[in-house]
Amino acid sequence: MALKTSWMISLKALRRNKLQTALTMIGMTIGVATVLTMIALGSGAQAAIQDQVKAAGMNLIIVKAGNYQLQQERAPDDAIENGAVDPESQPLNRWSDGVYKAGERRMRAAFFHPEDDPFAVHDHPTSRQRLGDAEAGLGAAATLTIADADAIRKIGGVQYVSEGIHENAHVAYGGQRWFTRMHGDDVSMPKIKRAWVFTHGGYFSKRQETNSEQVVVLGSIVAEKLFGKDNPVGKTVTMWNQPFKVEGVISSSNWMVSPAAGDDEFDAVYIPVTTVQKLLNLSKLNDITITTESTGNVTRVSKDITDLLRGRHNIAFKTPDDFQVISQARKALTGGGMQADMQRSVMGNAAGLEKVTLEQLGKTLDRASATMTALLASIATVSLIVGGIGIMNIMLLSVTERTREIGIRRAVGARAQDVLLQFLLESITLSVAGGLLGIAIGFAVSLFVSRILQWSTQISPLSVALSFGVSAAVGIFFGYYPAKQASQVLPIASLKYE
Amino acid sequence: MTTTPVISIRNLTKTYQMGEVAVHALRSVSLDINAGEFVTVIGPSGSGKSTLMHILGCLDQPTSGQYLLNGKDVSHLSDDEVSSVRNSKIGFVFQGFNLLTRTSALENVELPLLYSGTPVSASERRSRAMAALESVGLGSRHEHHTNQLSGGQQQRVAIARALLNNPSILLADEPTGNLDSRTSVEVMDIFQSLKEERGITIVLITHEHDVAAYGSRIVAFKDGVIVSDELNEQRRAARNELADLPVPVAETA
Repeated sequence: MALKTSWMISLKALRRNKLQTALTMIGMTIGVATVLTMIALGSGAQAAIQDQVKAAGMNLIIVKAGNYQLQQERAPDDAIENGAVDPESQPLNRWSDGVYKAGERRMRAAFFHPEDDPFAVHDHPTSRQRLGDAEAGLGAAATLTIADADAIRKIGGVQYVSEGIHENAHVAYGGQRWFTRMHGDDVSMPKIKRAWVFTHGGYFSKRQETNSEQVVVLGSIVAEKLFGKDNPVGKTVTMWNQPFKVEGVISSSNWMVSPAAGDDEFDAVYIPVTTVQKLLNLSKLNDITITTESTGNVTRVSKDITDLLRGRHNIAFKTPDDFQVISQARKALTGGGMQADMQRSVMGNAAGLEKVTLEQLGKTLDRASATMTALLASIATVSLIVGGIGIMNIMLLSVTERTREIGIRRAVGARAQDVLLQFLLESITLSVAGGLLGIAIGFAVSLFVSRILQWSTQISPLSVALSFGVSAAVGIFFGYYPAKQASQVLPIASLKYE
Repeated sequence: MTTTPVISIRNLTKTYQMGEVAVHALRSVSLDINAGEFVTVIGPSGSGKSTLMHILGCLDQPTSGQYLLNGKDVSHLSDDEVSSVRNSKIGFVFQGFNLLTRTSALENVELPLLYSGTPVSASERRSRAMAALESVGLGSRHEHHTNQLSGGQQQRVAIARALLNNPSILLADEPTGNLDSRTSVEVMDIFQSLKEERGITIVLITHEHDVAAYGSRIVAFKDGVIVSDELNEQRRAARNELADLPVPVAETA
């Protein structure tokens, strides 16, 4: 017998036994709705935690052109501080006159540095020997290119990458002029800066970036200075005597960060990096901003970026980097007006410290997620088993109740397997229909919870697929036994049944 | 008799085990029924007539002996094969009608077609079921659910269902047991006309001599054996009796 016919028979039987149908479906619906809501709440909480960590910038990496670290390691800097005790009283002062006038203070100090003593004999290379003059100047070199950024995009675990060129520029509209920061960026910048909100329009598009179009996104301070309260979208502003069409205005979505004149984010304008390179005739970048998919990945991705760029820049073994990879944690450790020597000693340990904290944080988050998932999975399992047992009970009852019906079907020629299939399809239909209804209710409840209680919820396609699959599986698993019972009813016994 | 009998049973025995006691429902029964016969089987309760009907209808299997249906031994077939025989060769009419509740008359009649070996399209199912319902005079009531029909109408739906696959035999187990006298006669009229006009073989089981008298041959059972088997010379004719009966109050649907 065709499956379609069996299914039709099952549907008719379900329609005939409305109470049984309703009861069974309710059990399944509640089960699936519970599971879905639980998963939605759980993964919402997980995502919220991840978001908070990410919003703190823990997954942010900035690659800067040049390497200022090298300068810090240079001995003469130390020498000045160590040596500048009382320069005037030093009898050796006059000897420096003919050597190097411009850096007299430095040269003077250099005499006091053991490594810079031209007559000293060392058993290790001096800092100047280690670095060489040419390399010592690399601190200011612009070495990063868009091709570098594209290569970084291909590293596993990298989420967003934005090239960056930063200049100061005069922006003019009508009679108004405003001197501000100009950032040449990639389209992914709003996703990296999570706390942005567009008060007008939006960001420039990938196509506009590819075509190096002259479009600009204004920070809210710039928009206010040039346009007052008017909507600037669609208007044209001038920079470097070039027209730029305004695409949008950004402001802060975070009450903790309010835009102020002079800040780097909102008193600023954003232009496609390609446009900046074309107009200013540049081929290099100031920096590349990267976010990783997971906070636990920051150290690994940082190392990958370093290896990649060293390879791309053909930097020989033991030669220092011509760029600097900074993660947010490192920045936090060394920022905030820390004393220079303190900063330096912290920096020496920063790599290790950062590795430990970020990896531990990542692992802790992963462990918390795993615990949460296990908890949700066990709740889900229990409620689905309860739903399934409900189906089995009601189906078993209905087999007893419908013995007569089974007998009639057997008498007119239904085979045992036809009856089995009918009852199995009934329970599958019930559980799948109940499951679908449960998914709808789960969606509704999750929406309600996130709207009314302001809890974050997240319904992934996976959890929907899972609930659906599990409800179908429950239908088959718990429907089989009653269906088997039904098929074993003897045709003769069922006709005597009253 | 040159043609093979439709039903041919030889030394049929059926023994039920009721706890410690063995109940001999049938004791070596042999019987031949030819095509177009209207056989009524009569006997008191416990005489084995119902057991015979269950075995004839392939609802039960004999303990020993042979049952040939259209010359083919059906007494020891597998469950699937027996189901197929029930579907295509046998039509049942029961005392309790045995219709699906909360289901329209049409869908009840369609039922055997859902289980036929060759798939039948929905439209063909419908048209064949309609034709069968019309032949028992219920074409206008095909949408009615079984609980909206009178006993006589329900039994007619059951007869339409039994006839749908053009079975070799029609088995009726106390078909008038739950009906009043007039509708009983109406049902018997249907059986008689099926025999006369379409030559359908009918085996009817009853414990009432009045009802048995409608058959063309009467087989009497007692204690699991046949006590008499004779042609019925004084057949009652249901149609003539109907004409004589007072016109009933119009049936409310």
